[in-house]
Amino acid sequence: MNEFVERQMKLTWRPPKKSYDVVIVGAGGHGLATAYYLATRHGMSNVAVFERGYIGGGNSGRNTTIIRANYGIPAAVRFYQRSVDLYRGLEEETDRWLMHQAKGLLWMAHSEAAVRAERMRAKLNTQFGAETEFVGPAQVQELCPQLDMSGGGRWPVLGASYHPQGATARHDRVVWALAEGAMEHGAHVHQNMPVDGLIIDGDRVAGVRTASGDIAAGAVVSAVGGHVSRIAAMAGLRLPIRTHRLQAFVTNHYLQQFGPIVASSELFFYASQTARGEMLLGAEIDPQPSFSYRSSHDFVQDVCRRALCLLPFMSNLRVLRQWTGVCDMSPDYSPIMGHTGVPGFYITTGWGTWGFKAIPAGGEQMAELIATGEVPELIAPFGLDRFARDRTMADRGSAGTH
Amino acid sequence: MSLRIPCPTCGDRSVHEFVHGEIRRVPDHLTDPDERDLDFAFHHDNEEGVVTERWFHAQGCRRWFEIRRDTTTDRIVEPDSS
Amino acid sequence: MTTLQVDGQRVEARAGDSLLEALVRAGLHPTGGGCLCLGGDCPNCLVTVDGVAYTRSCQVGTAAGMKVTRDHLGGEEPALLSDEPMSAGNAAPVRHVHCDTVVIGQGKSGREAAREARDGGLGVVTLDAREGQHVTGVYPGPLVVASDQAGRVLHVHPRREIVIATGAAEIQPVVPGSDLEGLVTARAAAELVAAGIDLGRAVAVGERPAGLPADSLVAHFPVGEGGWELVRFEGDGRVEAVVVRRHGDAGATEERIECDTAILGLGRNPRNALARMASDLPVRVVGSAAAEPQLPSCPREGTVCPCSRVTVADLDGVWERGFHEMELLKRATLAGTGTCQGGVCLPYLRSFLLERGGRLQPAFTARPLNRQLTVRELAAGAHTTVTARSPLHDEHLSLGARMDRAGGWWRPWTYGRKDDEYRSVRERVSLGDVSSLGKMAISGPDAEAFLERIVPTKVATIRPGRCRYVLMLDERAYLLDDGMLCREPDQDAGDRFFLTSTSGGAGFFELWLRDWAEAFGCDVRILNQTASLAAINVTGPQAARLLASAGARELPAFGRHRQVRVAGVDCRVVRLSFTGELSYELHHPAADACKLWRRLLAAGAGFNVQPHGLETLLRLRLEKGHIVIGQDTDYDSTPRRLAHGWAVNLNKGDFVGRQAILRTNKRPLDKRLVALRMEDPPVRQAADPSAEGAAIHDGDRYAGYVTSDAGTAAGGGTPMLGWLYLDAEGSLPHEVTIDGRPARRVDGPTYDPEGERARAAVDIASESPQDLREFPIARPEATDLGAEAPSEPPRLRRLEATRVSATPAALDAVVAEPPWPAGARAFRTAPDELLVAASPDFDVAGDPHAIVERETAFSYVWLDEATAERFLDRECEWRRPSARPAFAQGEIAGIPAKLWFDAGRTLILTPAPFASAFQRRLTRSLEETDGDAA
Repeated sequence: MNEFVERQMKLTWRPPKKSYDVVIVGAGGHGLATAYYLATRHGMSNVAVFERGYIGGGNSGRNTTIIRANYGIPAAVRFYQRSVDLYRGLEEETDRWLMHQAKGLLWMAHSEAAVRAERMRAKLNTQFGAETEFVGPAQVQELCPQLDMSGGGRWPVLGASYHPQGATARHDRVVWALAEGAMEHGAHVHQNMPVDGLIIDGDRVAGVRTASGDIAAGAVVSAVGGHVSRIAAMAGLRLPIRTHRLQAFVTNHYLQQFGPIVASSELFFYASQTARGEMLLGAEIDPQPSFSYRSSHDFVQDVCRRALCLLPFMSNLRVLRQWTGVCDMSPDYSPIMGHTGVPGFYITTGWGTWGFKAIPAGGEQMAELIATGEVPELIAPFGLDRFARDRTMADRGSAGTH
Repeated sequence: MSLRIPCPTCGDRSVHEFVHGEIRRVPDHLTDPDERDLDFAFHHDNEEGVVTERWFHAQGCRRWFEIRRDTTTDRIVEPDSS
Repeated sequence: MTTLQVDGQRVEARAGDSLLEALVRAGLHPTGGGCLCLGGDCPNCLVTVDGVAYTRSCQVGTAAGMKVTRDHLGGEEPALLSDEPMSAGNAAPVRHVHCDTVVIGQGKSGREAAREARDGGLGVVTLDAREGQHVTGVYPGPLVVASDQAGRVLHVHPRREIVIATGAAEIQPVVPGSDLEGLVTARAAAELVAAGIDLGRAVAVGERPAGLPADSLVAHFPVGEGGWELVRFEGDGRVEAVVVRRHGDAGATEERIECDTAILGLGRNPRNALARMASDLPVRVVGSAAAEPQLPSCPREGTVCPCSRVTVADLDGVWERGFHEMELLKRATLAGTGTCQGGVCLPYLRSFLLERGGRLQPAFTARPLNRQLTVRELAAGAHTTVTARSPLHDEHLSLGARMDRAGGWWRPWTYGRKDDEYRSVRERVSLGDVSSLGKMAISGPDAEAFLERIVPTKVATIRPGRCRYVLMLDERAYLLDDGMLCREPDQDAGDRFFLTSTSGGAGFFELWLRDWAEAFGCDVRILNQTASLAAINVTGPQAARLLASAGARELPAFGRHRQVRVAGVDCRVVRLSFTGELSYELHHPAADACKLWRRLLAAGAGFNVQPHGLETLLRLRLEKGHIVIGQDTDYDSTPRRLAHGWAVNLNKGDFVGRQAILRTNKRPLDKRLVALRMEDPPVRQAADPSAEGAAIHDGDRYAGYVTSDAGTAAGGGTPMLGWLYLDAEGSLPHEVTIDGRPARRVDGPTYDPEGERARAAVDIASESPQDLREFPIARPEATDLGAEAPSEPPRLRRLEATRVSATPAALDAVVAEPPWPAGARAFRTAPDELLVAASPDFDVAGDPHAIVERETAFSYVWLDEATAERFLDRECEWRRPSARPAFAQGEIAGIPAKLWFDAGRTLILTPAPFASAFQRRLTRSLEETDGDAA
């Protein structure tokens, strides 16, 4: 018997209606969370989520499931800390096993500049409510006995920032629990139903065009990943977004427990152990824009080489499976949430390589915006207009990593 | 290896030897200098399909050149022979 | 006979046995049960071999001393941590093979495809699992990755085509009891019998196994139309009976036959995982791998996915709760996510979904890895990024420096005497290695116009022999880098400039300049001299005296530069200051760096000269309020936010970032980088030695954070830099607190606010030069590459040569009629660049703006042909030229290299900052391939 077979959740599919109060494009984590929080927090259930494939089939099902709040600017620390907090309560709230597990995150420094950066991160995080401390080599080794502290003789670990609330959860289950919760409250989710166009009424977006006909909507929310520029273009918008591939892989089961999540900005990889015991590794995005889901060998080759410097115990583990997602990157490595300037059209994008960890907070805040018409304070800095306002949200704490 | 980039000086090499460069186009309908500048600074076509782009062969001749690539498949598109 | 250790017991294997055959022969079965296929298609024969878990025992041979655990997870008590001393696990060796066509699978259709391709004159590589070549994936490139029996990893690079001839896999049974031992497929049965293994009482269901003696079957039940249906297997751990059923006119007839082995011939499906993985690639699928998959009947009960132990009941459970898509079914049950990647379960999942939902859904995406290699095997051929070394690297080490990675270079962080390093700069004189600065020579008719568009400073007013601090902005007006711009004093050959960048920006510098030069259509020559020139900063009140005693006759005034011979080395001496003291930056050929460094230390002995490390430099500049790119600046740092408006001239015409400055200046300012000073020393703790990152408060308001704090200044007070957010009224507070302690914002540097020390007038007329003959300097002579022969063992040496940047037409003419001595080798490294092993004493007739400079920043080695092949087969991923002679360049062993393929020998050139890493990789590679046939 496989203890990881999903045995609780129930997904209820209903035929599409001709009109909804809110139509959300994209049934990934963010789209479903928005529907979930609209339904559970604001009593808005005349909501539909349209998905061109299956739910959670984009980046929600292709990420490395890491949850953390140790970002590099105050607004981001606050926002992701909200998400960390919501994630901690999500199993109880939904009464579903999401395999949520706080395991702590170690962000390794191999140079003086990185030591300084990790010390600064720790102070900034603490200031804004995310627990992070800088720890020396002895404590790093204690937290993760498997680490080769000499970094293979070339990448010595001089210290690390330690973020005890760093966690993982099973990505698919998060998606399904939100879908189930939204459906229970009456929201619709429609799979295999791509949005082919937006209905424009004067200066506003008034619905979506699908193979099942036009669907009217009081508000349309783009929560798509990977093709957001195309959806935005339907509303006449150009976005500060480029789409890049992000790859990851898992090994076979590693029999021992690998405690924390470890990351190294200088060796460009991070590793954690899944609930099933696999070692899960990821790295940075491919530098050139691409929409291809094809995995490449050089990715697994380079990450394996770099991982061996710090985690030589992995030498004989077999790599089981690799995969690829495509990420929407904003110029300042921060998400874009809120109004678009086009009435009736909202956007949540720029989720780069940090979308999974933001699912509950992103959904909660977008739902509040749509339900109340007011931009919540937590996401006000992340509006699309920030580029024109000269208020970019450059975040060193998110750049280039998970 | 993954993607191979055809350097006109050095030949086909792994994408890792190169730095990618975008050719930015500001839409003609933007006329205000600040609007054009904002678009140039931040916005992207982010096209799904064949794009013309620049690459710098950092590990070889260290020069820029242009190629056409299909961003949906990563396939390099030969220039039109006509 | 070969003796293996299986779970601690000795097991004898026969020659030719696969590990699985040896186990079965010994009456042992891998744990977990299930039908054995012997084709690598199922997870039922997984064991642990020599510490490698999840190994398909049917796909590996036997070797004496092999240690096998039948538990595929790695056994009962795996070593917690490696017993070996912790060290970077070495990657397995790689071999790059280039060909026209690669054929995967050497069954009948694979052999035919290979023969046809060979007959067509193509270079063909064949890969066959029976030869131990297991293909892990088909990738863009195109690239086929496979393991081979020698423990190497093959990277096959086909130019034309990948032929997939992987044949068919047999359909596995999914009924109750299908996870018992004693079940084999029809093909497996034939192979086991052929290997002389006794199957005992065998019952065949479905296709009759080939090659079995007629009397060896207890019973045979054909399946399919009008035939029998497999119902279940019975037994306790091992099969004891097979139950089949047939529907006739009189209803169902069930039969139960006792047996030792059940043989299942349930049909075949194409082994098409590689083909499915390879869409978009030049792939041709032949033979039975190309067949349409056939669906077995929908399973009723039993284990569908043996990898993840998913049963039909599990599938029904999730189906009933709304998981109807193939991908959702897979993700909700984890069916298809194990070793066989759906090899067993995929046909059943499809038939299950067809029956429940009435819709045939496509197979889920096939992803690598088709055959799971280990991390060390997958790492084969990869290298970690090399950190560049200054030509003074060994000098620093011999002086006891602790080296640190900074901006892609090894820099001396400290020589272990922090306080004295600081005092030597402030009170005496000190040397700092700044060789890692980016350095560009720029000339051409449009040189000035180009630079006007590149930097926000007015370039036209930089007179010959002057230099100026410049910013480099991106198109958003965010600060990319800073440096100094020198206009050459000699105007005879037209405008020529020398521009530096920070060490961290050096990698980006050249591509950024060339990008804009092309975008603006400027007629300029650009020569990257980052590695060509070393640079030593001589700084401190006694700097001029030290240089004079090292033989300098004239030194430039502040803000100027000139060529000066110092200690016998021709240097560009630039006088600006980052430390706040009298400073001279000596830029000179990399080959001369060590002797200049030693002579300066010797000449400065009387002044008690000390070198200073990066840690001290960061402290010195902070006392002057100088920013460090990346530490104090952020992504959105405009000149206005940095209070660097003084370095921007908006009235001089367009430059990169100008419109963005105009645009953003219309928005209210939000934050500014400010200098701060704390009178009482901050609280210092060993665990938290710096206030960097500390919050700055304006009363109760969070007002920003500290970016730089390097300790208390000698004269008291602690200088800091930090970001301060403007308050609601749009002003910056003067009094703030940092970590609860008072600090105030200051307008200028606290140390020598008027800059008198850096700008001090200097008179060295009375200084007499010291005798430095104990450090002789030989006149450089160009390397005679033609006279060199391969050495054993191969050792890299520094090349004495010349680099030229000129128009392509002018270089064409120069190459046609070389002005250098006959026989000197010249390499055309770019259409407008030439590297020639000759002295730089020639002109490029066709281009008055040509840059011709001594080049000592390459190291070279000659390899004989066999050695070169051995090395490059492993360390060169790209297709090498077949003609001789030929020039090529690209990455070798993870390091940029230039190659000259001469008759019978190969020259490799690599940048000197990477030479020691290249030497290490060359030596190791040759040692490890020593036994390989050439």
